[in-house]
Amino acid sequence: MLKKLFTVRNLVILLLVVALFVVSGLLGLKVPPPEVSLAAEPVLHIGGFAVTNALLTAWIVMIILVVAALITTRHYPKDLDNAKNSDLVPSGFSNFVEWMVEGFYGFSESVAGKWVTKFFPIIMTIFLFIVVSNWIGLIPGVGTIGLLEHPASGAEGFAAKGAILTAQPAASGAEGFILVPFLRAPSTDLNFTVALALVAVFMAQYFGVAAQKLGYFKKFLDLSGFKQGAFMGVIQLFVGVLELISELARIISYSFRLFGNIFAGEVLLAVLAFLIPYVVSLPFLGLELFVGFIQAFVFMMLALVFFTLSTIRHGEEEHH
Amino acid sequence: MDVEGLKAIGAALAIGLGALGPGIGIGIIGGKAMEAMGRNPEAAGNIRTNMILGIVFAEAVAIYALVIALLLKFV
Repeated sequence: MLKKLFTVRNLVILLLVVALFVVSGLLGLKVPPPEVSLAAEPVLHIGGFAVTNALLTAWIVMIILVVAALITTRHYPKDLDNAKNSDLVPSGFSNFVEWMVEGFYGFSESVAGKWVTKFFPIIMTIFLFIVVSNWIGLIPGVGTIGLLEHPASGAEGFAAKGAILTAQPAASGAEGFILVPFLRAPSTDLNFTVALALVAVFMAQYFGVAAQKLGYFKKFLDLSGFKQGAFMGVIQLFVGVLELISELARIISYSFRLFGNIFAGEVLLAVLAFLIPYVVSLPFLGLELFVGFIQAFVFMMLALVFFTLSTIRHGEEEHH
Repeated sequence: MDVEGLKAIGAALAIGLGALGPGIGIGIIGGKAMEAMGRNPEAAGNIRTNMILGIVFAEAVAIYALVIALLLKFV
């Protein structure tokens, strides 16, 4: 097992890492501590529209997904009726994607039952989009390569040596620089997660109406309690208000769960890289890979569960 | 003490205390799920998905605390 690790390729990678370490040490380049910015920064302007680095990365994620989908379906025969059996056997990347999608489809079917054909395209798209968005932030260079810009007035800038930002504060008189990265994981921008949360919550209402027509809104405004007296009626009305609040709170919990986890993960990685460089970051990169997957899965699963719940008539689950 | 320092302490307390409850909750959920899987290994897949769902709801509370901490620190 250990012998397999000593390949030429691994040796070259190791040498490159050591060389980078030595060169950066010799040049005396020290980068400033990471600037944590809650909002995504605009990097380019199209007309009057500011494109932020998170939006730019979201577009790149979309391109990645489209290209992956094209690669997956490239080998599929055009004419399915006359295709030989051997043409239909997936291989390589297609095989992996089919295995993954089938696994998720089976899981969704066990939760959603007959609604799975309606739910699956949405939740799988959400899952793939989020998981690639989470992982793209872990690629070296994302968040560390960018434009040198003058900070907003009042903020501290740093001196730049050529194109590299150094840890020295800017000389008095001269204006300092801060780094505005070209790319930033979309999930670390609240706009992205709120947009997805709005889609998920709105689609739950849509499927509720699709499944039980106007009867769906009985959940929010239930007058049937008045048949059992004024007291029960008021309680039922209050329960409806609670349902409405819980529906709105889902937007917050969906969006902040994804944003909080991924943003905190990126901050953790940045801080660790400065506390104990090179070595300690590695296990945490693995952890962030896991967290990125789990959060995408959780978003997908919650959307699936809430879609399914909204298709079930209110009160039905208590007496069946 | 200046306002910035007090803000930092407030943010640290918000997330630190806010993580206590969810931490205990997630521990109980995980422990009980392991127990259930040990008793009934065939149902492990089902238990695992339900465990993740439960953990997510417990974790949401910690996320609210994180939001408060972020608001205190950055806004």
